[in-house]
Amino acid sequence: MEHKYIEIKGLSKIFTRKKESVHALENIDFSVDRGELVCILGPSGCGKSTLLRAICGLDTEHSGDVFIDGRKVIKPEKTRGMVFQEHRLFPWLTVEENVAFALNGVDKDTKAELVQQHIDLVGLTGFEKSYPRQLSGGMAQRAGIARALVNDPELLLLDEPFGALDTFTKMAMQKELKQIRKKSNTTMIMVTHDIDEAVFLADRIIVMSPRPGSIVKVIDVDLAEPRDRNSYEFLEIRKEVFNEF
Amino acid sequence: MTGYTAKKAGYAIEYIALIAVVLIVWCVMAGRGTLNEIIMPAPSKVLDTVTELIGSGVLWTNLVISVVRVLKGYFIAVVLGVSLGILIGLSKHAERLSVLIIQIIKPIPPIAWIPLVILWFGIGESGKVFLIFLGSFFNILINVHDGIKQADEKYIEVSKSMETPFFKHIFRLIIPGAAPNIFTGLRIGLSSGWMCVVAAELVSSTTGLGYMIMNARQFGQTDVVIVGMLTIGIIGKLMDSLLRAVEKRAIKWNWSE
Repeated sequence: MEHKYIEIKGLSKIFTRKKESVHALENIDFSVDRGELVCILGPSGCGKSTLLRAICGLDTEHSGDVFIDGRKVIKPEKTRGMVFQEHRLFPWLTVEENVAFALNGVDKDTKAELVQQHIDLVGLTGFEKSYPRQLSGGMAQRAGIARALVNDPELLLLDEPFGALDTFTKMAMQKELKQIRKKSNTTMIMVTHDIDEAVFLADRIIVMSPRPGSIVKVIDVDLAEPRDRNSYEFLEIRKEVFNEF
Repeated sequence: MTGYTAKKAGYAIEYIALIAVVLIVWCVMAGRGTLNEIIMPAPSKVLDTVTELIGSGVLWTNLVISVVRVLKGYFIAVVLGVSLGILIGLSKHAERLSVLIIQIIKPIPPIAWIPLVILWFGIGESGKVFLIFLGSFFNILINVHDGIKQADEKYIEVSKSMETPFFKHIFRLIIPGAAPNIFTGLRIGLSSGWMCVVAAELVSSTTGLGYMIMNARQFGQTDVVIVGMLTIGIIGKLMDSLLRAVEKRAIKWNWSE
């Protein structure tokens, strides 16, 4: 049977809090092609992080299914790298130890090489021996991305990774993410509440609305690279997305 | 003098100010004869006793004996407390099996164990070591257990998403994450073990700082009692400082520079 790389079928999730039930996700259906960069865009509380956690396999208590490569997702796997909202680096490990932590069953030399390669990739060369508390927010997030990429995942899941960064760092990081994608051709799904970010990065934007969390619209972003944030076409798509809120 | 060193000097004065006041008041009261020599000897008398006890080697001998006892009991408490703390922190079954018995035995002060300890161990060394062990063990166990249990769900998720093997998960994530709590347990355990030394040496002892104090009491040698007490206090403080220094080195990621 034909199948898409990622298929999400009839995904629903209800949280019960103090007898009150919240419809976090209702009947989510979409698919993602290999190599695509999809942004899931929506206001806070629309269940977009919940959706990403379901794709990752961190949350499996829901109805409906997530299939990756035709296989149902039942637990996290290292072929799916996850970058969280907070960097979540282990504070007791240095940058290189944090990145190396993701590698299991790899011999020492290969490990060292892969770690260095990914630290260089995210532009943290020279900070290998630093502890997380010695890094700025942007640097820590880069280290988190390196850690998620070091296993060479087929799929990179990003949960508002740049949400806590200032505008300038954020723009630089978005550019870097594009560079990384160019080099590795990893499929990426990114959750964000930032319209500009979505239009700048995505091949496709999935717009979600809250309570119940559901897909309102899917917008294809056909923009030439490199994208100019001030071009007419960019702003047109931005407007189209904006009108959904 | 720069502002910084002036500040430092100010702090140093604050650190010793209270001790200085107490000493001065003590000296003045002793000098005016308001103090009953038996109840509270003069500072000069205490100082003489210190010199005498050091000179005769009595203080040193007793101190070493007490320290060795504490270290023996403490060592067993560390080994068992840390390993069992990790076990019950990781296993819900082990936790449910042990929690009630721990909660009931923990509040019993070591001194209440003395009659049983004499019956079980006799009046030899092992009974004293056991009492010190009791004094430290539960403090270590409970802190280690807490630390393991409070492992941050966020880090656990990261580790899960990487399919980290079990032993790596425990030794490189759970235990390092609990290190600050483990060290708190080790420090409280050492100081409570040290505090038990007097109780332990009440068990028909003829040596140690606890014995020195209790023996001096029977002869009305308040000065020796005070010297013994202060020795226990100062050594306890030094032990804690030493462990703090070790902690600072061991978990330097937790300390800002």
